[in-house]
Amino acid sequence: MPHLKHLPDMKRNEMLTFPAQVNHDTPWTPPARPLREARLALVTSAGLHRRGDPPFVSNHHEPDYSYRRLPADTPAAEILQSHASAGFDRSGIQRDLNTTYPVDRLRELLMRGAIGSLADSFYSFMGALRNVARLEQETAPAVAELLRQDGVEVVLLTPT
Amino acid sequence: MLARVFEASGLSSVQISLLREHTEKIRPPRALFCPFPFGLALGKPNDPEFQHRVLDHAFSLLERPSGPVLEDFPEEIVPADAPVTPAEERPPDPAFELTALRGYYDRFVAHHGRTAVGLTGVPSTRFRGLVRLLERYAAGEEIEAPTPDLSAAQYARFACDDIKAFFREARMEQYPAENGPQIDAWFWQQTAMGPMMRRVRDRMLASGDRQVEMLSYGIYREPDTPNPEWKYLTPTAVKTDGG
Repeated sequence: MPHLKHLPDMKRNEMLTFPAQVNHDTPWTPPARPLREARLALVTSAGLHRRGDPPFVSNHHEPDYSYRRLPADTPAAEILQSHASAGFDRSGIQRDLNTTYPVDRLRELLMRGAIGSLADSFYSFMGALRNVARLEQETAPAVAELLRQDGVEVVLLTPT
Repeated sequence: MLARVFEASGLSSVQISLLREHTEKIRPPRALFCPFPFGLALGKPNDPEFQHRVLDHAFSLLERPSGPVLEDFPEEIVPADAPVTPAEERPPDPAFELTALRGYYDRFVAHHGRTAVGLTGVPSTRFRGLVRLLERYAAGEEIEAPTPDLSAAQYARFACDDIKAFFREARMEQYPAENGPQIDAWFWQQTAMGPMMRRVRDRMLASGDRQVEMLSYGIYREPDTPNPEWKYLTPTAVKTDGG
């Protein structure tokens, strides 16, 4: 979102009242080696999944804290977005998947030698969750473990 | 929040953030705040050079010796204003209109090799049936989702998402220079499908069911539509600890 001063009052209030975690510390893992030698994975909260995977369905009783695995070589034509709210501009991802999920850019960086290697699997979560407790306690740690099993050292996270 | 979990388990992370005020509270290890509209995390579709500038900046944060790091990408993208155009005469039947747009939609898919249509699983050649289903829902009739794990309202929402994606892709093929807000303005102000879908929204919004009202908010909202969730929130219901 641009700086909030550009938004109408209603929109600004919505952004500011959306429940966000408040933390007072920050976990910190310095990269063990430069990115040009490291293995990188892409993780998005854009609600992406493969065509044929069950869509994400969130409700206020139970936010959808599940995740979907996206093999890194999944063709763009096989990726759908079930986070499809009027709250954001979908024309960008419809024109170019990289607007949210920059797989082609990462492959270019790999070819240039700016990234050591790309993980076999990338992962997707639902966005705009109003309660992230089970995500934090269950599914995010599960994905962290899968990433480490894949030898991943660096994660790039993108929202929608 | 995801970044914090990953980092705590021994991975190094860097994220693109679209809402600085939230990122300041969450305190992830390394974040690049990109002042771009929601939906445009990398800024500009089909602009690899711009997208690489964003990524290069984000990856440069990995070299910082300590954190948390929250830095601003220097270029801002302010949401485009969509011109409010007078309502022209609309086609009388949304299903007929959908058929008329099919040629453009098919060309978009052929050019791009992909489509955002697919959440209902109904092939787009059968969308006239989805239109009739939405018309029945908008008229207050009961409809059934094809599988028991989906509510009728959630299925109607996926039907709206799919049909909107179809219309948006047809329009992008016909008018490649239009941006998202301009396409939305066309859809809601000049098509027959827009008002029909707004009636779907209206039924959901009047349902008295919090979940269904929330589904409606994802379909359509006027600039001054309050978030329907607000009326269900009391001071004690607003949690700031993520719990």
